[in-house]
Amino acid sequence: MSDAIRLEGISKQLGEREVLRDVSFITKQGDVFGYLGPNGAGKTTTIRILLGLLKPTSGKATILGEDVSRDEARRKVGFVLESDGLYDNKTAEENLWYYARIYGMAEPAERIDRLLNLVELQDRAKDKVGTYSKGMRQRLAFARAMTHNPELLVLDEPTAGVDPSGQIEVREVILNMASREGKTIFLSSHNLDEVQRICNRIALIDRGEIKLCGELEQLQREMSGNEVEIETTEAIAEPLFAELKSLSHLGLRERKDKVLTFVPQEGVRIPDMVSLLVRQGVEIEGVSKKEASLEEIYSAILKEVEPS
Amino acid sequence: MKGTLVVLQSDVGDILHSKGFLIVAIIIGVLIVGTAVSVPIALNRWLTTGPAWDEAKPLLELFMGLAVNYVPLIVLFSCMATWATDPIAKEKAKGPIESLLATPLTARAVWIGKSLAIFLPAYIIGLIATLIVILTMNLAAILPTTGHFVLPLPEAFTSFLFLPLLMFALILLGVIASLITNPVIGQTIIIFVGVLLLQVVAQVGGRIWWLLASWDYALYNLAGAALLGMIAFYLSRSLSKERIILSSKGKWA
Repeated sequence: MSDAIRLEGISKQLGEREVLRDVSFITKQGDVFGYLGPNGAGKTTTIRILLGLLKPTSGKATILGEDVSRDEARRKVGFVLESDGLYDNKTAEENLWYYARIYGMAEPAERIDRLLNLVELQDRAKDKVGTYSKGMRQRLAFARAMTHNPELLVLDEPTAGVDPSGQIEVREVILNMASREGKTIFLSSHNLDEVQRICNRIALIDRGEIKLCGELEQLQREMSGNEVEIETTEAIAEPLFAELKSLSHLGLRERKDKVLTFVPQEGVRIPDMVSLLVRQGVEIEGVSKKEASLEEIYSAILKEVEPS
Repeated sequence: MKGTLVVLQSDVGDILHSKGFLIVAIIIGVLIVGTAVSVPIALNRWLTTGPAWDEAKPLLELFMGLAVNYVPLIVLFSCMATWATDPIAKEKAKGPIESLLATPLTARAVWIGKSLAIFLPAYIIGLIATLIVILTMNLAAILPTTGHFVLPLPEAFTSFLFLPLLMFALILLGVIASLITNPVIGQTIIIFVGVLLLQVVAQVGGRIWWLLASWDYALYNLAGAALLGMIAFYLSRSLSKERIILSSKGKWA
């Protein structure tokens, strides 16, 4: 897979403030890439650089091989920014027509109908956007982003300020874009649950610097600390718990009702742990290797960088 | 060029469907009907007293000069003050401008497109209003009593070409100032220069009234247009997407 987005050593100085410092990451085509960070971390500035709205002070940014300063790059990207950017005094159709014309589409009528169907706004197509709910506006903003059939979608906090049912709708639209339409998605968000549900790769930015970047599953495994949870049919008795705890290579950490949590030493295999428990007369209900949640990863990384 | 036309077409549509357009159209309509009725009546009363043509001609040219300067100036100024900066302020505050600039449109296409969208409807309304006043003054009063059609050529050029050019240059200046700084600054420039021009017409009409029908006065308007246009194009060197974004609400996050 070739690179959808490539940022190399991007820095951005705005006045006295260095908003981005040596930001580098790569998004592959087909990725649903989550860009995480607290407010003011530099997410929106990164997006503005990607969209050619701000020029980096140093470094290089490309979209699908094109430098972001080139018009050609902007033709390959669709976007939903934090403020949806729709015209309240125009209807949904008029908003889409306007953008279709900006992108130089000759016959956009069919495409616009299809997109309004995709985001389920065909019944409200002739209503002024000023009468729409926040969720409907966001769905229309997605349709607008897709008008010129871009290969990459850049989404900046697309569910911010949207009610829970609207968030579900927006999330479904994003998943549809990725799975049915095969788009690469760059999603900036501080909604960790949302990112965990839909992204396969993430980067975490804080105070203008990338703190973490990689495959979400791999990061979850790496950050889990090799925890293994074994669920038993009955809660084990105190003497057995003490005996198991004394076996340091097993690394038994805690017992919560019927669940035992281990952090085994390097080289200790899960089947061996299970055999040992079975030999002790423990009946096993299930075994799982724990993965760190995105929330845990996020908190751990941000705690590391907090000033003492 | 194509991008400019897309912005122009969309913004003209927005202006024509706005409440501001309706209000301006009603006010201008009332003013023009009032002028078109009252001025010929006053002229008729004076002309029926039988002044000699040589005596009447300079005064009629002065009346006509005031009319063909004031009418387009008031119309263009009212339209600009209502349409020019407020929509840009809203677009900057609510976000459409950022989305617009994230497309392949250039900042220059947005600037020219928006300026033309304000100017063209204002120019057409101003042209119609001026024609109504010129025709009613001549056909209802001057022509029947004197047998002459009064509209000195320099006045026609000033009214239909040079003054509108001056106002277009002012729009270019106001819009670029609104885009790269605070829209309030753009509005202040438009109102300040607009009021200044109204004052100039009043002063010239009162003190050196013969100048209104001269080529000198027409060329002053043209020079004013060139000066404002040059300032606007000088400012356009600092027109960039980054400048517009950073002057909008919510500079960075």
